Amino acid sequence: MVPCDERKGPLPPCAPLALAVMPKQQSSEPAYENKVALSRGTLFPGLDLPFMNVVNHPDHLSTPLCELMALDFVVQELKLYLDTHTEDREAFAALQTCIRLSREGRRRYVEKYGPITVDDMRYAESFTWADAPWPWQLCANKEG
Amino acid sequence: MFVYEKKLQYPVRIKNPNPALAKFIISQYGGPDGELSASMRYLSQRFSMPYPELAGILTDIGTEELGHLEMVGTILYQLTRNMKPSDVKKAGLEPYFVDHTAGIYPQFASGTPWTAATIGVKGDVITDLTEDMGAEQKARTTYDNILRLSDDPDVNDVIRFLREREVVHYQRFGEALRLATERTNQKNIYAMNPAFDR
Ligand SMILES: [Fe+2]
Repeated sequence: MVPCDERKGPLPPCAPLALAVMPKQQSSEPAYENKVALSRGTLFPGLDLPFMNVVNHPDHLSTPLCELMALDFVVQELKLYLDTHTEDREAFAALQTCIRLSREGRRRYVEKYGPITVDDMRYAESFTWADAPWPWQLCANKEG
Repeated sequence: MFVYEKKLQYPVRIKNPNPALAKFIISQYGGPDGELSASMRYLSQRFSMPYPELAGILTDIGTEELGHLEMVGTILYQLTRNMKPSDVKKAGLEPYFVDHTAGIYPQFASGTPWTAATIGVKGDVITDLTEDMGAEQKARTTYDNILRLSDDPDVNDVIRFLREREVVHYQRFGEALRLATERTNQKNIYAMNPAFDR
């Protein structure tokens, strides 16, 4: 048998049979802007495949909390992408930039609204963990 | 280990309580293809995953699913807030209410309590990743069905977000399967199970 690359050869002798083969996402670009990514549920337009073509609008995602959610969401999307694309330097640089922005955003958010993790109370004057509403409460997700 | 972040992944603000919607959305909390099953499946499968980057994707997606569990619980909590006994009756929620009041309990829409029988941990690299791809599609279908049944824009906004995450996770598990097979015997990927035969 002639050795060949299973992924390039003609079907069937040189292609993998009896195996589900997913096309690999080629690049972390193009990517949505942070808030659009959060509203769509993905950073990547190529993966944005909505049911009945109905999509969410990012207009209601402009609170300080939503801005932080959007940054953390992009971090999550790039992290999952990098899990299967460990060699992608550009995506890694984008991830690092986003982590830094998220840290800064978190610092500002915590100052105003209270701790997100116990770590955020390291300079607090008292134990404020339960002062702000819990995330499932409606008032924790209010606009403005 | 896990550290709690006191925020949701995506905002949930349901303006109008509607216990009738909670009756079926609860399936994505503790149902057969819900978020509790998703997180337990991936977080359990990772222990026997021999490839570090694939243990990584199972850890990262499994952790995100825990965040989705919290979001679905939040939808249920907000849909059933300030319920009166008359609201319970109007929504036909009596069988749930009598056992759980307005508490959030992981169960199928049909009432069966959450069970680990809904998840697969086979300890075989290809089998587990293939299960995960199927699981993401089942979760997507369930969200499709919820969108078919719900007409509340605040609920559907969140459901659309969660549904799209399943599409992204499906892609990542597909890529993970690809990476796994690239690491095995290309002529016969079923010659052995790299999670067990070394
Ligand atoms: Fe998922």
